[in-house]
Amino acid sequence: MNKNISSILKTVSKPGRYSGGEYGQIIKNKEDVKLRFAFCFPDTYEIGMSNLGVRILYGVLNEEKDVWCERVYDPWMDMQQKMREHGLPLCACESGDPLTDFHIVAFTLQYEMSYTNVLNMLDLAGIPLRSEERGDEFPLIVGGGPCAYNPEPVADFFDLFNIGEGEEMLPELCRLYIQMKEEGRYSKAEYLHEAARTIPGIYVPSLYQVTYHEDGTVRAYTPIYDDIPTKITKRIIKDMDRAYFPDKVVMPYIETVHDRVMLEVFRGCIRGCRFCQAGIIYRPVREKSPDVLNEQAKCLFEFTGYDEISLTSLSISDYTHLEELTDQLLEWTDENMVSLSLPSLRVDSFTKELMDKIATVRSSSLTFAPEAGTQRLRDVINKNVREEDLLRAVNVAFEAGKNTVKLYFMSGLPTETYEDIAGIAELASHVIDAYYRCPSRNKAKKPQVTISVSCFIPKPFTPFQWEAQDTLESLAEKQEFLGSKITDRKIRYTHHDAKVSRIEAVLARGDRRLAPALELACREGFMFDAWDECFDYDRWISVMERTGVDPAFYANRQYGLDEVLPWDIIDCGVSKDFLRRERDRAYAGNTTPNCREHCSGCGANKLGGEQTCCPKAKN
Amino acid sequence: MLSQSEKLIEKKRLLNLPVLERPMTVRLKFRKVGKLQYISHLDLRRTFNRVIVRACLPVWYTKGFNPHAKLVFSTPLSVGAQSVYEFLDIRIDRQMDCREIMDRLNRELTDELYILDTYLPTSDFSEITWASYDIEICSKGLKEESVGEIRRTLTESPLLLSKKTKSGEKEIDIIPMIHSLKVSYDSMSNTVKLSAVLKATTGEYLNPELLITGLKQNNQILQGDPTEEWYTILRTAVMKDDFSLFI
Repeated sequence: MNKNISSILKTVSKPGRYSGGEYGQIIKNKEDVKLRFAFCFPDTYEIGMSNLGVRILYGVLNEEKDVWCERVYDPWMDMQQKMREHGLPLCACESGDPLTDFHIVAFTLQYEMSYTNVLNMLDLAGIPLRSEERGDEFPLIVGGGPCAYNPEPVADFFDLFNIGEGEEMLPELCRLYIQMKEEGRYSKAEYLHEAARTIPGIYVPSLYQVTYHEDGTVRAYTPIYDDIPTKITKRIIKDMDRAYFPDKVVMPYIETVHDRVMLEVFRGCIRGCRFCQAGIIYRPVREKSPDVLNEQAKCLFEFTGYDEISLTSLSISDYTHLEELTDQLLEWTDENMVSLSLPSLRVDSFTKELMDKIATVRSSSLTFAPEAGTQRLRDVINKNVREEDLLRAVNVAFEAGKNTVKLYFMSGLPTETYEDIAGIAELASHVIDAYYRCPSRNKAKKPQVTISVSCFIPKPFTPFQWEAQDTLESLAEKQEFLGSKITDRKIRYTHHDAKVSRIEAVLARGDRRLAPALELACREGFMFDAWDECFDYDRWISVMERTGVDPAFYANRQYGLDEVLPWDIIDCGVSKDFLRRERDRAYAGNTTPNCREHCSGCGANKLGGEQTCCPKAKN
Repeated sequence: MLSQSEKLIEKKRLLNLPVLERPMTVRLKFRKVGKLQYISHLDLRRTFNRVIVRACLPVWYTKGFNPHAKLVFSTPLSVGAQSVYEFLDIRIDRQMDCREIMDRLNRELTDELYILDTYLPTSDFSEITWASYDIEICSKGLKEESVGEIRRTLTESPLLLSKKTKSGEKEIDIIPMIHSLKVSYDSMSNTVKLSAVLKATTGEYLNPELLITGLKQNNQILQGDPTEEWYTILRTAVMKDDFSLFI
């Protein structure tokens, strides 16, 4: 029975996050379906509703007639307090039913700092945190998304993980569940074994025993059954043109982070920046055809009425048919008052022609990511961007009357020196100089360059996965040093909190022994750690101390090149050999050509894929 | 496979509709009830912007740097209040009859946000002076005698309540802004029902929520478990200064 929460909704901030009833939501009769699936996004409604992956998988699952997939978001703190005060469990948006009424409860793990929200949501739903504490009467807890590539820190809380793209895997999981229920042979233990055995890409952590060396590093992962894989290879959708595409989406009434049509142009990235996890784990590159994309864009525009279409992919200007696609789109977007936007532009591809096509009236600012201040360091990270490229790109923007540029950098990168840090300030002032040298600049306005500096975090499945993160002290010194180098008031300088980055590094490279710390964090009410107002470094350190976790072991230690890594149980397609070669090249200051120029043999082509630049794998 | 782009083809057809000499204003009367009561005025505007595009209405766009459809709403409704008597004026620049406008919009809406009527307006939103509300309160301890107590609270001046204004919080007496009030008690559902007509001009607008605030302060209601005690506010009409219905 659902309680009347109208009085509570009248007292909390933005109650539209909890009321549901959106246009486009899918309602089924719960008596008619065989499996109820709760898709949880462990952050606020505004963030979760903006996630393209959730939109796709919500559609995919609801295509299954006998499955009803609903959405769940993490209620903001004021709402949670009321819920706990009045014993209201966490409920799904569509039906308003508590999570315990569902058969499968899935979480998308988009960033490490959302782990505390996952646990908090389970707790709010009255579901025991640890997999071993949950019997057959509780829903199966499933994880997926980019952080599932190293699921170990949260392995004890999940029953199984989906490794890779979920469009085919999730329906397969549901079918197996329904089949075993109908045949009367369902038990959680049987199901987990069967899923691990028969569905590629499924990782059931409880079926693998982990042993450790005395120095704390991993000794081995041992499957407890002979018939399950010793390494879980990620799943991909081979042909993106034929991949499921949601032609209906749930339309939020309240404003969300990305309130626009999101058109996924391709998966993967040809670049291979050495700090970037997304650039590796989504390989191989698979493009969609412009004709297909144009039809999909029309379809979404008609269904949503959005006035903006964002072409989303990792490095959108690398799309081989970008011009053809934008031309096709512009044939109908202009007259329908729809603007195009392209996030993630590379400076070397930014041209006047391109800028003329994208949304220019709405924002006067452009963002580029040189990532490092000197050519030497940009070569180390394989950014393959030169200062001339950046200055040419900003010049195009200035000529078009723009006066603000935002530049993203990273501090604490491997081999970084103070010269590289100073280079950030110099690069910013060169951009200012470029403005004044530009004859057709907007003379009424002063230039404004914002430099935003984040901290390097070593991530699994990158050439820098073994690197030690800079210490807090060193990162703080560098941040201060850069601040002292910036004297021009036309340059605005912001930097990320190094403390958050350190905890993120621990969670990114952690193993199963982090579970007690996360569990304690949940007990002590940690939530929304990705939000500045909630994150408390000292409390994190305290929680780790009390559970015997040394953060430096995970964040600031150079992992051994021959060490068994906690995420070695996962095969993302790209070989460890390749990552090691890339690491060597980084230290030698050598760049690696992008996938389209030259195949460097990362190994991801073994996964197959259509409309890719990879050579066909031999086997 | 994807459906043909029917709406875009439809839009092309609509572009050939007879062009109006001047943009014409069309008034939409709509309801906003149920879950939609939690959607703010700003979000409602955003929603209508999209709904109008989805419905392929031949709306007139402002000619400017950032073209947009002109939407003019009548007296805004606060979050947590429902209404069956809301208005939105839109402007179209091609011929389309009112019935078709309504049908097209309703295909893109849900029952909780629904167009009730569409016509060419003969009045101006500035003529709106009063709004009538039905308020239902379910709270422990309500009884027959509560009717008198509630009426007393809401009729004996002054009832001073703090109201947020642009220049900070201000104490105001809300009684002069209450034109009429009916109170009744239903023992079957243990609810008190209020019917009130409140001032609703731009300068002087009494938020019906303040009536609840006043009752909470003076009548010890809605103090218990919020999952068992509740109230609803429904705007039933808006009126001109002579209390004739605004249309």
